[in-house]
Order: sequence, then structure tokens, then C-alpha cells
Amino acid sequence: MGKVKGKLGPLARRPDNSAFKQQRLPAWSPMLTANTVLPFFYIMALICLLLGVWLLLTVQSTREIKLDYTVGPCDKCHEKRKNVTSAAEDCKCTVEFTIEKRFKGDVFFYYGLKNFHQNLRRYMDSRDDGQMVGRKNNLKNPSSYCKPFVRDQSGLPIAPCGAVANSIFNDSFTLMYHEPSSTPVKVPLLRRGITWYTDKNVKFRNPKMNSSMNLAQVFEGTAKPLYWKKPVYDLDPLDQNNNGFINDDLIIWMREAAFPNFKKLYGVLHRAKKPFTGGLPAGNYSIDISYNFPVQPFQGRKEIVLTTLTWFGGQNHFLPIAYLVTSSLILLIAIALTVVWCKFGKNGKNMEE
Amino acid sequence: MATQSVESDFSWEVKANSHHCHKDKLKKSFLCFHWGRYSDNVVRSYKYSPLTFLPLMLFEQFQRVANFYYLLMVTLQCVPIISTIPWYIAMIPLLAVLIVRGLKDFANDMARRRSDSQINTRPCDILISQRFNAARWKDLCVGDIVRIHKDQVIPADLLLLCSSENHSLCYVETADIDGETNLKYRQALDVTHSELTCHPSEESLAAFDGVVFCEEPNNRLYIFRGELHWQGQCHLLDNEHILLRGTVLRNTEFAYGLTLYAGTDTKILKNCGKLTVKKTQMEKVFNRLVIGIVLGVLLIAACLAIGSCIFSSQVMSLTEDLYFLVVNGNPVYTGFIAMWSYVLLLSPAMPVALYISFDLIHTVHSLFINWDLEMYWQEADKPAQARNTSLNEELGQVEYLLSDKTGTLTQNRLLLRQCCIAGEIYGDVSISAEDMEPMDLSWNPFSCGTLFMSAPSLVENLRGQQCPLSSQFFKALSLCHTVMAEWKEERPVYQAASPDEEALVGAARELGWVFLSRTRDFVVVSELGVTRQYQLLALLDFTSKRRRMSVLVREPEGGLKLYCKGADMVILERLQKDIPFQERTERALELFSQSCLRTLCVAVRSVPEASWEQWRKTLTRSATMATCDRDALLEKLYDQMETELLLLGVTAIEDRLQDGVPETISLLQHAGIKVWVLTGDKKETAVNIGYSCKLLDADTRLLEWQELRQILQAPDPRVSFHKARQTEVWAVDKETARPKTAVVLTGAELVEFDQRPEWGAKFMSLASQCESVLCCRVTPGQKADIVTMVKKHTSSVTMVIGDGANDVNMIKTAHVGVGLAGVEGGQAVQNADFALSQFRFLQRLLLVHGRWSYRRISTFLRYFLFKTCSFALVHIWYGFFNGFSAQRLYETWFISLYIALYTSYPVMCMAFFEQDASAENSLKYPELYKTGQRRELSSPLMLSLSLVYALYASLILFFIPYGVFHDTAFDYQTMAVTVSMAATFTATIEIILVTRYWTKFNFSVVCVSVLLFFIFTRIFQSSRLFQNSPIDFFFVGVSEKAFLDPVVWLTALLTAWVAVLPSLTAHGLNIILTINNTHKVHSMSTQPVELKSKFSRGSFGRSSFAISQGAGAGRHITSATHIHSRDPPVDKKSQLE
Repeated sequence: MGKVKGKLGPLARRPDNSAFKQQRLPAWSPMLTANTVLPFFYIMALICLLLGVWLLLTVQSTREIKLDYTVGPCDKCHEKRKNVTSAAEDCKCTVEFTIEKRFKGDVFFYYGLKNFHQNLRRYMDSRDDGQMVGRKNNLKNPSSYCKPFVRDQSGLPIAPCGAVANSIFNDSFTLMYHEPSSTPVKVPLLRRGITWYTDKNVKFRNPKMNSSMNLAQVFEGTAKPLYWKKPVYDLDPLDQNNNGFINDDLIIWMREAAFPNFKKLYGVLHRAKKPFTGGLPAGNYSIDISYNFPVQPFQGRKEIVLTTLTWFGGQNHFLPIAYLVTSSLILLIAIALTVVWCKFGKNGKNMEE
Repeated sequence: MATQSVESDFSWEVKANSHHCHKDKLKKSFLCFHWGRYSDNVVRSYKYSPLTFLPLMLFEQFQRVANFYYLLMVTLQCVPIISTIPWYIAMIPLLAVLIVRGLKDFANDMARRRSDSQINTRPCDILISQRFNAARWKDLCVGDIVRIHKDQVIPADLLLLCSSENHSLCYVETADIDGETNLKYRQALDVTHSELTCHPSEESLAAFDGVVFCEEPNNRLYIFRGELHWQGQCHLLDNEHILLRGTVLRNTEFAYGLTLYAGTDTKILKNCGKLTVKKTQMEKVFNRLVIGIVLGVLLIAACLAIGSCIFSSQVMSLTEDLYFLVVNGNPVYTGFIAMWSYVLLLSPAMPVALYISFDLIHTVHSLFINWDLEMYWQEADKPAQARNTSLNEELGQVEYLLSDKTGTLTQNRLLLRQCCIAGEIYGDVSISAEDMEPMDLSWNPFSCGTLFMSAPSLVENLRGQQCPLSSQFFKALSLCHTVMAEWKEERPVYQAASPDEEALVGAARELGWVFLSRTRDFVVVSELGVTRQYQLLALLDFTSKRRRMSVLVREPEGGLKLYCKGADMVILERLQKDIPFQERTERALELFSQSCLRTLCVAVRSVPEASWEQWRKTLTRSATMATCDRDALLEKLYDQMETELLLLGVTAIEDRLQDGVPETISLLQHAGIKVWVLTGDKKETAVNIGYSCKLLDADTRLLEWQELRQILQAPDPRVSFHKARQTEVWAVDKETARPKTAVVLTGAELVEFDQRPEWGAKFMSLASQCESVLCCRVTPGQKADIVTMVKKHTSSVTMVIGDGANDVNMIKTAHVGVGLAGVEGGQAVQNADFALSQFRFLQRLLLVHGRWSYRRISTFLRYFLFKTCSFALVHIWYGFFNGFSAQRLYETWFISLYIALYTSYPVMCMAFFEQDASAENSLKYPELYKTGQRRELSSPLMLSLSLVYALYASLILFFIPYGVFHDTAFDYQTMAVTVSMAATFTATIEIILVTRYWTKFNFSVVCVSVLLFFIFTRIFQSSRLFQNSPIDFFFVGVSEKAFLDPVVWLTALLTAWVAVLPSLTAHGLNIILTINNTHKVHSMSTQPVELKSKFSRGSFGRSSFAISQGAGAGRHITSATHIHSRDPPVDKKSQLE
């Protein structure tokens, strides 16, 4: 090997005397003792405790209300949706509730589904990101992953294709505030700008179009998904820029949930006008629901969640409690180690001295 | 000689000079068909030909279960419905493995071809059509007659037909076969000798048409049976007539031989053993684990598939709307698909990367061995060499070290260091031979400067003729031996059957008593320049029973003298009574044996003419008697002659050990390694070396065959072994001291083990309680058998160290074979796994490199298991929440990069550099080595603990994020990134805990790995890549958001923290408790090796007489068959006078 370097002479094959080759690299080997280990455990326990308490306090400061509207006032709609033949018929119902204490600050309106497996592999794969990003080719020839929602009976390609888009949550809600003295006021909800920036601007794009064309023309030659009532270019009649693949509701739906129970954002309280500038005032509310989404097939439930948020998100008690549990666990371990140290470790040390 | 019995088992027929007849029957093979009978003389150790390289290589690669498994995985990845990552990414690691291994194989095969062709093209002279033509070894064929020149290596097993010497005697050196460097005699049959030497040799040899019938090729080196049918007569052949391949012709101008066995049929190659690919213990444990994990994965996948089945059928039963979720509308088929998807999802638990890293780590460790300056032998410019790069961790687990003696423990250089003449001790052994100032011997024209004894007073005595006893002493040394003198450059060069004799005669030459030559009847000696011729009347030969030899000579003056030398025990009891300095001599003997010198007593007797006459008559009569009677009579006769001796003195010969051998052996024994010695040498020599290298000491009881046999035959060997120990008087004296025992065996006794296979286990259980085992006079095949026996009956790792061709077989058999790059040629090194230049480097190889390797590799394995399993098993738990649909919990890129990029470098760095104790401390506290022997770090228990820990971590990795993210607005992709982050953190924290030796590389690599995770995650989730390929990079924008989300961070950190908590606790506990242990280690004192033996001579006849192996040498000298030619000029002159 030494020959490669062209060394000559009697010691040609002598290995280099370098720290690396002789395994004498300068190194730090921490000489840990009980004096460093035990305090470390106690400090970690303390850190977890402090974090846990802080998070718990933060979570406590949020307000949340959950309304399961699967049945109850909407029982008749639920029954109606059971039947496939009446699927196309409209059904409306109203859920009433009371807010005891004012929701301060931004209020977020979520719809929640239970037992809806958006995370099934075949379901999740059943989409075509190429189509959604506006590739013309994919628009007309959706990926085979979308099966069986690639083409409709007449052979037209479906846009957006796939099971995910097909099963979009299509209930709509109108939140009404019943002021004690006057007529009910519609609570203004921001229904746009609630998606991720990258989703709206990168991941979902409408197919490119000339200035002369409108969206409907671009989507010509495609069919709407099977379960949809409106074509994709007509999802939001109010705002042309919220149509096609960049419709906020579609985007939010397409961001699949990890677990069968999940929430998705429906809107955010628009705090421009009184009396909602400071949040949702206490009082009676009602929600008019256009009940379209059938949950009976998967034995699921639907709910509405109204919540305020902190930096840490909504009312999620798991994390603070997990921190507190961890903290106590570490504390227990630390105490156990201390006991062990007192019983056995110290002796060794004494002997050394 | 001629007998008519044609034994039926002599089925091997060789016709002399019938090249074509045998050529037709050469072994040939095509694919797996073989035909033909005789091997040609071509060595083919290569495996591949250009045509077969690719298929064979691939075939061999995929014989490895792991590779086949990965091939299966890659194939599965190609099925889109179940694939987790694109097949072109999944291919890369497997291809890398195949290419790297293929190239390695290719290089190895080329090297084999080179060394083969080197051997195959060695020259030899073959008789073709009445002329000897220069040919190459590979041209040789059974039945050919070859001519061997002096100092040539014999190319095949030959029947010696005749030689240039008288009586067709020839000498061979068998160093490559049994490690002995002394010369052996071979002699042709009388009939071939007389018929073939009287004519011009070519013609008569070409006309030779004998047919040899002999045994089928076998591996018995010392036995040959056959018969030569020639001229209508049948002559018996035995080992004496055979020249074995690999031996070297010495002292003989030419020898002519008939090729009996060629190539792979030769005895040495039959002894070579098969080349097997060595697997380390850890690899075996590990392979079992891999199979376990793979089976586990299959089982889990099957269970999850059943879950998937049930879920699908539930979905089916609910409504038709969701039928698309069920593949082909068939739940069972869905489950089947899910099963294979899960197999793929869980397969990263056992990634290919593990095998790549494993190879890489082994290679780096081997490089460290090659680079080690402390194992570099400056004088020969030879660094240590790890030839097999996959056995490193085995070096840290060795429990049995089986060592060759000659050339390994000893330098095979015998030196006369001291002598005691008339009670006076000359020379000083405390000064090593190298440091000694040579005496001025310029007055002696024959001096070669090879005397390593400093005794000016002795020289003065000798030259001044002041002390007749010392003159007698050296006269005895120059007369009483069986050495042959050969003249080279005006100086006699001695060729002895035993190195001891050579040393003694050489020492006598240096001091002025120069043995010049011998004829059948005369020995010519120059005594201080005066040439004197002694008539050799009788040579009373050495046998291992007599342990002495004598010569009876008539001095030029006419007196009869008997010179005798032999073991102290034997000589002392034959002395005249009342010798003045007997007591002083005995003290000297004791002193010599304390310094581990081999001693010989030299004595003389003046024989009266009358008794000689009578004795001679009886001797002549005995010649006509039957063999067994004759032997008894001779014994008695010799006994009569060797009485009433006058003690002249004692010689003390040092069998030079290699540097540092006793220290190394002592250190290794402290480290719990049992050192056994296996040698082809005599028992006496072996035991002597055992003492001098501190393998045995005075307290050690030698358990010899008779006793061992009794113990082994007893129903419970353990009990009788203890009994045997206890009955010893000295053992009762020291009740508390554990008696040390060593077993001494010889090759002949080992044969009995073959017949009684049940003894093997008994013997090993006994040997495990003994300090050591010495096996003497064992053939290479037996050496390997012993290794096999140790391997079979213990689970320990065996290491073999040797330097000669006779060690090749055992080197191949042992778990680890070490070859010493010594003088005996490169065969051992060629076949060894590690090549060293010095025995003492073994301590560094084992205690430092081995220990480190073991620690590093086992830590690496456990960590790797942890990180991959904890990462992959998460999918099981996720299955419960996604209808067992084999949904992955990670981005595809993370799956392929986690193992390759984010977590591999810190653990590699750890596996390269980790040191729990410095090299100095590893050598200072050999007890540390025992960790490896007990396999504390790699036991199945430890590995399964790692698995359990990984299972726990995977639970944490899934359920804490689950708790945080379920029923919230967080999406699947954020969850995936969070779990990835937690998994990376977990792996990183764990490696931080595991690493104890932080070099700058470790630091930077840990930081870089974590950074890489963030950087690559951001890159793979960037808009630019998404726009290029939406399907491959569909996680766009997730990390951008997640890396800024406090919930993600808090979750990932908590998850990682809880996941490593058990490991953290274990480390904490370890630190708290190890104060004790380190204290223990540091307080343990290792005594320096005491080089003086505490042995007292009287305790049990430890005699160090070792002259020749068995009887024989003398017979050639005194029998009429031998007269050495090429007499020196002096000799001629004296004969003229």
C-alpha cells in the first residue's frame, strides 16, 4: 500500500504515523459520574414540568364548543341521506346553541368528521396531483391512480379525478347570532384565505388559459366528479378567483387527515363589524346547515367546532398532560437512581478515596 | 524383498514412462460433470473464468439469504399497487452491494490466478523421449519421471528411483510439511538404485517400465504403502521411498523420481483442507436475528393483512358506495395485497444498508490493523495485514489460541549459551544473545562467528591445554553426533537431523574442535588446528526411550573411548561413583533449567580392549537375529557399554523464543485466553518450550496419555479429573491453590479420538479446566482435527497462529487464522486471515484491535437494529387507525434517506473511532477482554433487548404524535413530518448516548446529520421540485409550515425524549454503578511476567534432551549404505597419509 505513494527505501511499507491511522485522534470522552447524571435527570424533570404547566395554562385559556349535528335536529336529513334515491334532494336543518362566555379574539369555525378514513391507502392515492397543478395532459388523461374515478360513463375525463375529490365534504353552514333584542344577525365568516399559502399558489393551479377564455372553457371536455352537484369551475358563484382547482374548500379537503377523526377549517370569524370585532359575544346562536354529506355509509358522525386559538393551537390537552406525565416519570427515575446511588454507588466512591 | 502378495486395496496404478496412457485418464470436468482418474499437476484455486464470472458471481451473491431477500423486496417494489418507494430508488442500495462485492470477488480471483500461475510455472525437468526437458510444474503428469536438482522444491509426490548420491540416498527438508527444519533421509529401493545408476541415467530411466500399485490418494503424510512391479518382481514400498510435494531436496545433486500423485492428489494438498468462507459468530447470531426479524415481519404483515381483510369486508357490508376501497371487490384479495405492502413497509427494519455499513466498518477496522505502527516489523519492513476483512470482531472474542511451535513461538534457532565443565559454569545467559560482545576467535580459521557464549576463561583454558576435561568435553561434542559436513567456501557447513546437534557441533567448531567430515568408519576432526582421524567403531543410536547416544571410537593413539551425551537423568545414573564435582554439576543443571535452557550431559569412558572385543562379538551375533529379539539384545548391549561414565560437563542450549513470547502468553492468559500448542515436533521439545514460554510453570502438573485415558474412560470425567488432581501430594499441601494442569498429547494418541467420538466432548470439558494443552507430533491434518474438535464441543472462538505450510489446514479450519510472515515461506500467510510478523503483535491484535472491533461492531449492530426497527415498526401501530391499508407514515423520500443519510454517519463514525479504553489501558488490563469472550455485548439477550427497546420506541414514536394530532385540524402530511422529525431526533439522541469517544468527526457528523434532515426535507418539499414532478414530491410546502409550528416541535421533542428514556435510565444507572467496576479494574494489579522459572529439577523428570526424532539417523551413518561423498580437502589429505 505504501508503494502507491512512491516511498522508497527500507521502510517503504511503514505505515504513516498520523493520529488518524494510529487511532489516536484527540477526543473527548465525557467522564460522567453520579454528580453530573443525577442533576441532569432532576433538571430534565423540572423542564418538562415547567413546559407542561405552561402549556396547560395556555390551553386552559382557549374556548371551544363542539356540536354534533349528525342526528338530533338533523335526524330527518340523516334519514334522507341514507337513501340513495333521495341523494340529490336538498335538505336543510338548524342547530341551536348558546355561548355562555364570550369567545375572545379570532374564532375558527371547523367541521369535524368521525370515523371517516381519509387515510386509507387506496383512498389517499386516488388523486392526481399533476392534474391539480394544472397540467393540461393530466386534465384530459388523469392518472390511473384515480381509479375508479378517472372517467365518467360517457368516457369524459373527470376533473378533479379520484376518490378524494369525489367525496368532498359538501355541507354548508350559516352561523346566525340571535341578539337578545333584535333579529338574528348573520355572523360573517371569512371563507377565503384559509388555506396554506403553498397549497393555494403552488400545489393547486388551474390549467393555463388565454385571456379570452373563461374557466368553463378551460374545463371543457371534462366531467364533474360523480358525487358533485356543481362542476369544479363553478364551485364558488360569488368569487371567480375561488373556482376551479384553487377553490379553498377543495384545497382544504384535499389535504387529507392523518386519522379517521379530524377537523377541517370551514371559516374564520370576520371581525370587521360590530358586535364581532372582539370575537363571538355570549348569547344564543343557530347554524343553518345544508345537510348534504352522508355519514351513514361509514357509520360516522359530523360535528361543528367553534374555537379560539393560541400560539399553541386549539384545545388540545394531550400535549401538556404528556409533558406533565413525562416530568413525573423522569422524577421517579431520578429518585430511584438517587436511592441506588446512595446504596451502592457511594461505597465505591468511598473505597476509591 | 520380493513378495507375491498383491493386496487388493492397492488400486492406484501408475505405469512409469507412459505419459500418454495417463494423459488420457486425466481428471476433467465440464460444468458439474467430472471424469477421469488422475489429477494433473496444475493448481487451480481460482473460482471464475471470464465466461462464468457474472452468472457464478450473481449465483453466489444470491445464495446469501440477505441478498436474495432484498432482491425479492426490490421486485415487490416494482408492483405499483404495493410499492412504497419507486423501484428505481429501491434498486440503488442492492446494486451498490452487488457491484462492490462483485469487484471484490473479481480482485480476489485475479490475485488467486496470479499466485496459481506462479506455482504452476515453476521449473522442473521431465524425462521425455530419453532426454530431460525443462518444463513447468503444470506439465507434469502421473507416470512421468522427473529430475530434481539440489534445493529444488519437489513438484509432486514422487517415488524416489535413484539419486546422485551413493546408495541413492537423498535428503529432504520438510519444513513446509511438519515445520521441522532438519533434514530427513529418503532412500531408493536397492533394485532401482542398482539398475538405474549403472548406465547413463537418461537411457536407463527411459527404459524403466515398472508399475506401481499403491493406495488411493490420501492425506496421511507419514504413511505410504504400495508395491513396485518390475522385471517380474514385486517390491514393497513405504514412506521411506517417497518424496512429498512441497519438500525441498537438500545436499543431493540430483534425484530421480517417478510421479505417483500429482496436483490435488498429492498428500500435502489432500492435507490442505477445503477453503470455506468464514463466518463470524456475530454474523451467525445476526443472521439468525435477521431471519427472525424477516419472519416476524411476515407474521406481522399477515396479521395486519387479516385486519385489512376484516376492515374491507366491513366496508363492503355497509354500502356499495365505498366498494372502490376494496380491490376487485374482494376483501381477501385486498388483504393479500395489504400483506405484501406491509412486508415492504416493514422491510426497512432490516435494510440492505446494514450489510453495506457492516462491510465498510470491517474494511476500515482492517485498515486500522494494516496501519498500526506498533504491529509494523521494521526489520523486515512488514506491516500487519488483515487479509480477510470480515473477521475483525471475532478477534475480540477469542477463547482458544492454538499455536504452532516452530517459527511461531520459537525462532527455530538453537544456541549454546552456557556450559558447565568440571563443575565450572561458563557463559552468562542473562545477557541476551544479541547484546553479547562476541569473543575474539580470530585464531580459529574455521570460526564463523556463530557462538553466543562469552567465556574468555574457557578459551584460555582450551588454548592453553590447561584443563584436559574441557578438551575432552569439546572432543566429545565434535565426535558424538550424527551430523553431516558439507564443504562450502572452504568451511564445513553442518547438516544435522536435529538442530540441537547442529548447535553443539557448531559451538565446538567455534572453539577449535572442528568436525571436518565423516566416512563410514572414520570421523575427521581438527583439534585446535591439528587434524586427527578417529576410527568409528560403533554408534549407539538415540531412541526416545534411551534418551542418549554414544559413539565408540578408536583414537589415533590407539585408545578406545566411548563418548556419550544424553538427558541428565539417564547419564547421571550411569556415572562412576564419587565424582568430585557431581554436586556442582547438578546445581548447574538446576540453574540451567531455571533459565529454561535445554540441557545435555556429556560423559566419557575409556573402554578396555578386552571388553570391546567381547562386546563386538555379541553385536555381530545380534545382527542375524529376528528384529524384536535383536532390539532387546541391542538395548541390553548398549546398556552394558554405557556404564561407569565419567561426567565431563553439561551443555545448555537456548531454543530462542520469538521476542516477547512469554509476556504475550502471560498477557493472553490473563485475558482468559487458553493457549494450546500444536506441533509436529517431539514431546520433549514441546514441553520444554512450554516451560520456557511460561505456558507451563513448575506448579503445573502434566497430564499425560495414560492418566488422561483413564479419566476419559471413567463414566464421569469431571469427577475423576478432580480426583486425579487431589490425589497428588502437592495438591493436598496447597489446599487453596487451584492446581494447574496441562495436558500433553501426541499425534499417535490423538488417533484414538477418531475411534471414540464420545471422547471429544469429555476431553473438551476437561481441557477447559486445564491451563493448556500441548499436542506433539501431530500432522497438519490432525492439527486441523483438533481445531475442529474445539470448535465442535465448545461455542468458543478459536484462533490459530502458525507460520508454515503445515499450519495451513488448521489456519483454514479455525475461526480466525493468523499467519506469521516468517522464514518458512508464505503459505501460511497466503491462507491466513491476518498476517503478522511477530508473535508478540498478537497481544495488540487481540486485546486492542479485537476488543475495540468487537465493542464497536456489537454496539453498531444493536444501535442499527434499534434505529431501523423503531423507525419501521411505527407502521404496525398506524395500521390500527387506517384500516390496515398499509398506508405509510413517512414521506417516501424520508423512508429511503433516513437510513442512508440522516442516521447512518454518526453510527459509522462511532463504529470507526469508538474507544472505551485507550490502547494502553486495554493492554494494561487484559481482564477487559473477557467481555468479548462472554459475548456480553452481542448475546441474543442483548440483541433481543435492543429489539424490545425498538418496539417500545416505535410505540412512543406513534402514539405521542397520535395523541397530539388526532381529532385536530392537523393533516396527514404534517403528522408524517412530525414523526420523521421525532424518529430522527430519537436516533440522534441514542447515538449521542452510545458514543463515548467524541472525536471532531463524531461531533461534526452528528450535527451535519441533523442538519441534513432539515435541509433535505426542505429541499424535497420545495415548490421547484414539485413543479417538476408532482407525483414524486407531493409533500410540497409541509416542512415549510411544520418547521415553524411550535406544536410540531414540542411533539417531536417530547416523543424523542420519551423514546430514549429507557436507554437514558440504563446509561445513568450504569454510570452510577460503574464507579465500583472501574475502581476494581484500576486496582487490579498485573504482575510483570517473571522470566525465571520456579521449577526445581527433581520434582518430575523434566528433561530437555531432544536430539533427533526417533531412531534412524545413526542407522544410515553406520550401515554400509552410507558414505558421504565430497570429502573435504583436509580429509583427503589425511587419508593419503
